[in-house]
Formats: sequence, structure tokens, C-alpha cells
Amino acid sequence: MKTKKTALNGGEAISYAIKQVDVDVFAMYPITPQTPIIESYANHHNNGEVTTELILVESEHSALSTVIGSAASGARSVTATASQGLMYMYEVLSVASGLRLPIVMPVANRAISAPINIHCDHSDAMACLDQGWMMAFCESAQEAYDMTIFAFKLAEKVSLPIMVCIDGFYTSHNLENLETYEDKVVKKFVGDYKGPYNLLDTKKPISIGALSLPNTFFEIKVELFKAFDDVEKDFLEVSKDFEKTFGKKINFFEEYKVKDAEVVIVVMSSTAQSTKNVIDKLRKERKKVGLLRPILFRPFVYSKYLNTLKKAKEIIVLDRAEGPGSSSPLYKEIKLSVCDNDKKINVTSYVFGLGGRDLFEKDIEELLNGFIKGKPNKEKYLGLKK
Amino acid sequence: MNYIELASKIEERKAIVPGHRTCPGCPIAIILRTAYAATDKKIITSSATSCAEVTTTIYPYTSWNEPWIHSVFANAAATISGVETAYRALKKKGKIKEEIKFMAFAGDGGAFDIGLQSLSGALERGHDFVFVCYDNEGYQNCLSIDSLIMTETGLKKITEIKKGEKVWAFDQNKHLPVLKECTGVFNNGRKRVYEIETIHQNIKATSNHPFLTLKRNGRGKENELIWKTVSQLKVNDEIVTMRKLYDKGKAYEFNKIKLTKKGDYKVNIINDVKLPEKSTKELMLWLGLYVGDGWIREERGEIGFALPENTEERKILLKIHKKIFGQENKSKDKYYIYYNSVNISKFINSLGFMQGAKNKTIPSWVFTLPIDQKEEFVKGLLMSDGYIYKKKKDSCRYLSASKELIKRLRLLLQTMDYRVGKITIQKKPKGTFVVYREMLNDGEYYSICFSKKDKWDVKKYPNQYKYQNYFIENEYFETRKIKNIIPRGIEQTLDLRVDGEHNFIADGIVVHNTGAQRSSATPYGASTTTTPGEKKEFQKDLARIAIAHKIPYVATANPGNLLDMHEKFRKAFEKKGPAVIIVYAACPTNMKAPEDLTIDISKLATETNFWPLYEVEDGKYKVNYKPANKKPIEEFLKMQTKFKEVLKDKNEIKKIQQEIDDDFKELLKMEEAFPLK
Repeated sequence: MKTKKTALNGGEAISYAIKQVDVDVFAMYPITPQTPIIESYANHHNNGEVTTELILVESEHSALSTVIGSAASGARSVTATASQGLMYMYEVLSVASGLRLPIVMPVANRAISAPINIHCDHSDAMACLDQGWMMAFCESAQEAYDMTIFAFKLAEKVSLPIMVCIDGFYTSHNLENLETYEDKVVKKFVGDYKGPYNLLDTKKPISIGALSLPNTFFEIKVELFKAFDDVEKDFLEVSKDFEKTFGKKINFFEEYKVKDAEVVIVVMSSTAQSTKNVIDKLRKERKKVGLLRPILFRPFVYSKYLNTLKKAKEIIVLDRAEGPGSSSPLYKEIKLSVCDNDKKINVTSYVFGLGGRDLFEKDIEELLNGFIKGKPNKEKYLGLKK
Repeated sequence: MNYIELASKIEERKAIVPGHRTCPGCPIAIILRTAYAATDKKIITSSATSCAEVTTTIYPYTSWNEPWIHSVFANAAATISGVETAYRALKKKGKIKEEIKFMAFAGDGGAFDIGLQSLSGALERGHDFVFVCYDNEGYQNCLSIDSLIMTETGLKKITEIKKGEKVWAFDQNKHLPVLKECTGVFNNGRKRVYEIETIHQNIKATSNHPFLTLKRNGRGKENELIWKTVSQLKVNDEIVTMRKLYDKGKAYEFNKIKLTKKGDYKVNIINDVKLPEKSTKELMLWLGLYVGDGWIREERGEIGFALPENTEERKILLKIHKKIFGQENKSKDKYYIYYNSVNISKFINSLGFMQGAKNKTIPSWVFTLPIDQKEEFVKGLLMSDGYIYKKKKDSCRYLSASKELIKRLRLLLQTMDYRVGKITIQKKPKGTFVVYREMLNDGEYYSICFSKKDKWDVKKYPNQYKYQNYFIENEYFETRKIKNIIPRGIEQTLDLRVDGEHNFIADGIVVHNTGAQRSSATPYGASTTTTPGEKKEFQKDLARIAIAHKIPYVATANPGNLLDMHEKFRKAFEKKGPAVIIVYAACPTNMKAPEDLTIDISKLATETNFWPLYEVEDGKYKVNYKPANKKPIEEFLKMQTKFKEVLKDKNEIKKIQQEIDDDFKELLKMEEAFPLK
């Protein structure tokens, strides 16, 4: 298979993948920092590169609503959003999953109000964790590109919607030299749209979204919950297929020098890039450190994590969102993954980068060194001004 | 097109099939079926969360014979935009060839309020669909005013209940009586009522009033309690009824009355008596005898009892009268006992038992007494006009000329764990001998039979009894089979709103309270559960909002004029691009109007210009109906109890009339300026 090097930012990379898939319907409503996705797609549309019907809606609530309508009508459908937009969609999120529609929705993660802030953190996505959506967090434009292609196939295989998350600005707006595949190979990999049903089939009329009373509701919901249990198997299948086609492996998470690591840092999305630099530096100093970067956050495949993490002595979890009055979301998942281990593993929670506050390599290095020396940083919030 | 042709078209299409659960008199199905009959093409409909959605689909059933989708309250227009766009996308790619029409169907909430943004967006984007708003003027039951309600302070007529008062309700978790505050009383106007009859209870309610019923799920499965409206109830359905109330064990403290003293005007002598401050067992027995056989002439200070010599009853009365009031009987009449005391007569009159055989009653406070005092009262009644069957142990019959007394006695006995039969009427012709006198006129007597309930032997037959009675070990509630449901014509009705449990106990039966909330389409002056007085804002004009989007077709319609409505749907589906049709949907429930008057009220809405029929095609106006003799708005408002407050105020009516006249004039001007030819 031929590949091509193209310079694209994260938003454009996602848009490029959607273009290659040539979806049927794309509902668009601008919101920073997601806008590069829809702007570049509108250009593809304007240049006649796609056959997609665009719906320029009047709000995110309608964006997801229209896409629910079109996905139920046998059309491969996409919308993209971020932050307040995702919050505004919240009501309809559970409808998309409840109706089992394989909608792909890129999200450029951004802080949520108040105070208003347009920069990156994961509070928006983390607020939507349990609405029946699969969620993948991508590190780079390259991964966002790959994951978007992957997401269509996975979503349609398991009949569940998926959010493909990238870091707002860090990934969405940064130019990267990435490897793209041929249109026809991408198209072939994704194949024809496979919706769970088709509203437009007037020969077999169906009613979708009926009222369900206490005698039926629970079972229908449990069916959705169980669908999540099956994702693991289907994910691996699609991943195998993806590897065969594009020569790249997509996993539940990325391991970076974890195997013999005593101190493991867990962080998602773009921050993993600078963390890897720090790991490399510390490894040269013969310090046993490693990185684990969760990619598929929903479903969270606990069993796989334990296998990878059980040799660690210290696990440091860096969250880009907080759970006020509770714990940070990624920390909870990691803690839960290792809690059944025979040997107790220390898991420490840190929160960083809210509202786009930068976390520098030196900060990560200092944090890791603290653990290595047995003097961990006591402040949970990293990079706070004194 | 005439009505017969339209009817056959609707019948052929069968888009909305029977089995849906709309309220009686609801025009939703009429509107939908007319819409579907307006085109030969298949229609895909997106519904907003609304009455239409809830009543036509309850999983796993559906009334929709053509594709239908529902997502949430706000997004009917957005959802259909997506469907229509998918259609265009797939058609372009040759994946679909069929010609299909699209419709969004929303109530006034899903169009005027929460749905407005999504509607506006879809209209502006120009999707090819018809948006139908069925305007029922608000987010969306009642009892006959004869109903008697169990309150903290005893049994009261529903008309006497005031906001803030505590009424007895059924705790749906614990299955126990619980006191809850009444947060509103709603006059629901004259409606058709039905009488629900069990062996022990009778109640009159409108067809949409919910009752708590027992749903048996078969042997070995848990039974459940569900709310069913009168129209869903069937004979032999089991409804939850009251068995008894908590025995608070508190005697009733009487209000102080102003006594006559020696030296008052024309008072020279006064019999010295003592008056009780609290209810006692003796007094209740005395009162029982009094209700049956006694009378009072307050002006003469006379208290009399028709108790002949040598009867056990006479002896008892003489004894307790002395004990209570400290007064001896001085009269030597063979048949009657007379006492003289102005103050005793004043006291007895203040207790509220009323005067005269036909008017006697049981006042509210008796219902709050401890059980032993109630028992004494019943004993007194039985000693006077009662009869105890000797053969059947504990089986009694009580007879009275007062229907109210019998009705209340029946409910009183039901708070004391008695089993009470239905009220029977006995006619006695003139000349019959009653209480040693010949009757001067034909008389009607009412009687009930009652007996103490047996205790279930739960230990001996646990399962068998459980099957027979869901509330087997519940002392306070039980279920009773409905024996009869009888239409009782049109009566004045009322309903209560109750905090927390949303139910109360009326005529010994657990019933649900009322509902219906304000939306921005609710007309000026209407009373709803969120605007209990009256709404102070005029409704917004959705048609004009739609017109402002410069879409190809906007029209108003009314099921009161089906042919016009059909023609408008036909045009709307034919037009390329968005069309909006706003249909007047008279909601008898919300209007507090009889359900068989839907079409009459709908017609009146247009006859009074409250709901003018017009259409705007590509910016050109046509008023489809100009009433030759426009009727005053009052006639329309009078049909619906929700306007009762506003109807009291002439100025308010004037204000509404003015608004309607101005709107219509403006409409005519628009028609003149931009006529549709």
C-alpha cells in the first residue's frame, strides 16, 4: 500500500480521514477548537472532493439531533464538537447510544465554563463518560487520523457511537507531518455503512424511540451495557484488520518502556509526547521509568491494564480533569484496574493543565524524580502558581 | 373532496392504527390521519416528546404503520432535518429511488418553547418537510363535587377543602395512610361523570380520573399497583380502598359556645346543667340515640327523644343523660322523653348534626374520634333506628330518611374496619306507621347493612388469602372489585392537587390528583397547574414567527374544519421546501371541558376568530374563513373551565376581545396588501 506524507494539523487530519471515508451526512456547528475539522471539510465539500451532504445547523443540540436522524436513516453520519458544544449536546448523547447509532464524533477537548476558557483540558469529555459512548483519546494528528478511520469500522461493528478526542489546540491546531493512506484503501477498509436499521425503508416501517415503561426499560438498557462488554473482542478484530491493511497496530493503550519500569506514569493524549521525552532522558540515567497511555477510555478494559501494571511499584496518574468532591476520572480507572493485585501498588493522583495551563518536560521530570527518590510531590495540582 | 371521500382516503391509508392511548376527545389522531391522507407518498415522521409520542408508542407496541422516529423534546425539526438530508444523500448516490415525504409532529411545547430553536434552524436551512404543531395550549382530570374527602380534621366535602389543608393520602411505598398537604383546589367545570361502584364504596369521577388498581401478574409473580383512568377501568378490576384510619385516640374538644344566663333578655329561670368540654363514650352514645330518635327546638329549649316506656333504650338514655348533663327527666309521656334546657339545645346544635330527619348528618369531627367513641356512636344509632340480625352475628342494618347521613355513616364505618353494603332506597307511601305516627307524605328511606370484618387467618391459609387480597396483612387498605361503572350524566366537578404522594382518599377510595401546566402557547387568562389563577401573557404567534422565515407555506388549521385542514396538508406536502401548519388541538383535559365537545369547541375557536384560518403561500395571504356573524369570545371561553377566573372580570374579557379583533384586522390588512390569487 502506498502512503503519502502530508502536513496537516489535527483537525485537518480528522477531516481528511472523514473525507476519505466520504460520509453521507456531516452536521456542522462551529466551536473553538474543533473548527479546523469542519472548516477543512467544508473546503473538501466545496472542491467537490466529497459527495457528503452538509447540514449547517443552528446549534450543537441540533447537530447531534440531525445526525441521529440521518444515522437512523441508513446514512453514515458525522458531527464534531468541543466543550460547551458537547455540554449542549448532552441531552441527546444518550439518545444516540440508546438508539444504538454508530455515529462518529470527533471532539477537540476544551475546558468548560465558568470561567469561560477556550483552551485544552479534558473536562468536557469526562463530563460525558457514562452516556453509552465509546471514547478514544489520541496523542497526535497521526493517531487522530488513524483512529477516525478505525472508529467508523468499530462503531458500525458494535452499533455504538464513538467520540474521537484530541487535545484542543495542542493537537487540533498544530501542524504535523503525517502519513496518509490511499482513498480507495481507506474506503475499502471501512466498507459500506452498516446501520442497525433503516428508517427510510418504507416497505418495513419501524418506530424508533418508543416510550418504554418500567416493564421493558431496564432490559433495553442492560442490552446496551452488555454491548460494551463485547467491544473488547470486536476492537481486537478491527485492530487486526487495521494492522493488515495499514501496517499499524491500534491498541487499548500504548505502553512505553513499561515492562521493567518501577515508576509508571499514566497520562492521555498529547501530554504523552513530552512525557516520552522525559522517560527517554531518565532511562539514559538508568532510572526504571515508563509510560502508559490509555487510548480507549470507554469501554475501559481493566483486565489488560492489570497485566501491564502489576510489576510497577509506583503509579502516577496525570489527569487533565478533576472530579470535585470525588477523584479524577483517569485515576479512578487506574486505581480500579490494580486494586485486585496481590501486591499493593501505590497509585497517586495529579491534576494538570486545566484551561490550557502548560505542563513542561522539566515539571514531569521533577515529578518522576520525586518518586524515584522516595519524595513524591505532595501537591495534587501540578503547575499551580504559588 | 367531500367528507365521505376524505373518510375513505383516511381509512385506506391506515397510517395511524387503533390501539393508541390518547385521551377521550383528543384530536391528535384526527390531525395525524388527515395529514397522512393528504399525499399518496409515504411519509416519515419525527415526533417531539409529547402526548402524541407517549400515547402512540409504548414499547413493544406502536400505532405507526409508517416509519417514525422520536428523539427528545426539543429536536423534532432537527431530527427530521437529518432524516431528510440522509434521504437526499442516498438518493444522489442512487441508493434509494422512492419519492418520500417528511413530517415533524410536535405539540406547542416542542414548537413554541423548547423546540423553537430547532424549528427555526430547520426552516432557515430549507429542508423539504412539513412541520405540524398541534397546539393544545399547554403542557397537560376530576371528581364530582359530591365527593367526600378524608382530611386530618375528619371527613369533608370536596367543596369545603382549602389549599394548605392536610388530607389523607396513600403512601405508595409503605402502603400506609399518610397526611399530605393539599396544594391546590381546581374547579374543573361541568363534565360527564361516571359512578364507580364496589361492594362497599361508590364514587363519581370523570373518565380521565386515575384510580389506583391492582395488577395481578399471575401465580408466583409479584403483583403491582398501577394507576388506571376510569375509561381504562373494567368491572372486576380491583381498586385500592381504605379499610380504616389510624386511631389517634384523642377525644374531640368542643368549641366554646355563648351560653344563656339568668338575667339575659326575657330569661328568668334557667335549668342548671353541666356541658361536656370533650367528647366521651357516653356522649357519643347519647348523640347516636339523638341522631336516630331525637330532636331539638332551640327557641323553646326543648330536647326530645321518641323512646317509649319500658324499652331498654329509654332506660339507658335516662341514665346517661343524667351522667352527662346532670339533669333528670321530669316528663311522664308514654312515648316521648322531654328535657328542657336552652343551653343543652344550643350545645347540641353547635355540634353540627343538623335538624330534621331528612337533613341529619354526621359532622366531620366524628371521623377524628378514637375508635371506642365511634363504636359508642354507632351503638347509639343502632339502638334508635338500627336492627341487629340475631341469627347472623354482628350483622346490622341502619335506616334513615337522610341520604347524607347514610353516605357519611358508610364512610365512617369504613374508617372503623367494617364491611358495608351498598345504599338501598326504600319507599314508604303516605299513611305508613312510623314512630307511632302515620306518615303525612310519601317518604324515602335509605339503609345500609354492615358488619365487623373477620380477621384473616394468615397463618392457616397464607397463600390462599394472599391471592384473594393483596393487602392481606395491611390494616388500613385493601382492594375491592369494581361491581359497576355507570354513566351519571354531566355534573360540576372539582379536583385537588396533593403534595408528595399526588393522591388522596375520596369516598374511601384512593384517587390520583390533578395535572396540566402552562406553556407559551397557553392563552391569556387560562388557569393551569403552574398558573393556578390565570395566565397573564398573550400566547406567542408561531404562525407569524414561521412566516418571518420566508418559507414557501405557512397555514393555520382546525379539526373543526377537516376539509380545509386536509387541503392545507395537501399543499404543504406538495411544496418544495419547509412548510409549517399550526393546528388547533382542543384538549378536553387541559381545557377542563367535556370530551365529547372537542369538535364544537374547535369550531367555536374559529367562529370567534380566536383561531383564524389562513394560509401564506410564498408570502401571499389568504384568510380561508371570515365568519359572517362573528361570535363574542366569551362564548368560546365559557366552554372551558380553565377560563373561569377571567370570565368573572368584564375588563379582562374586553382585553381579550380587543386583542383578537386587532389580530384579525391585521390579518385582513395583510391579505389586502399581499393577496393570494
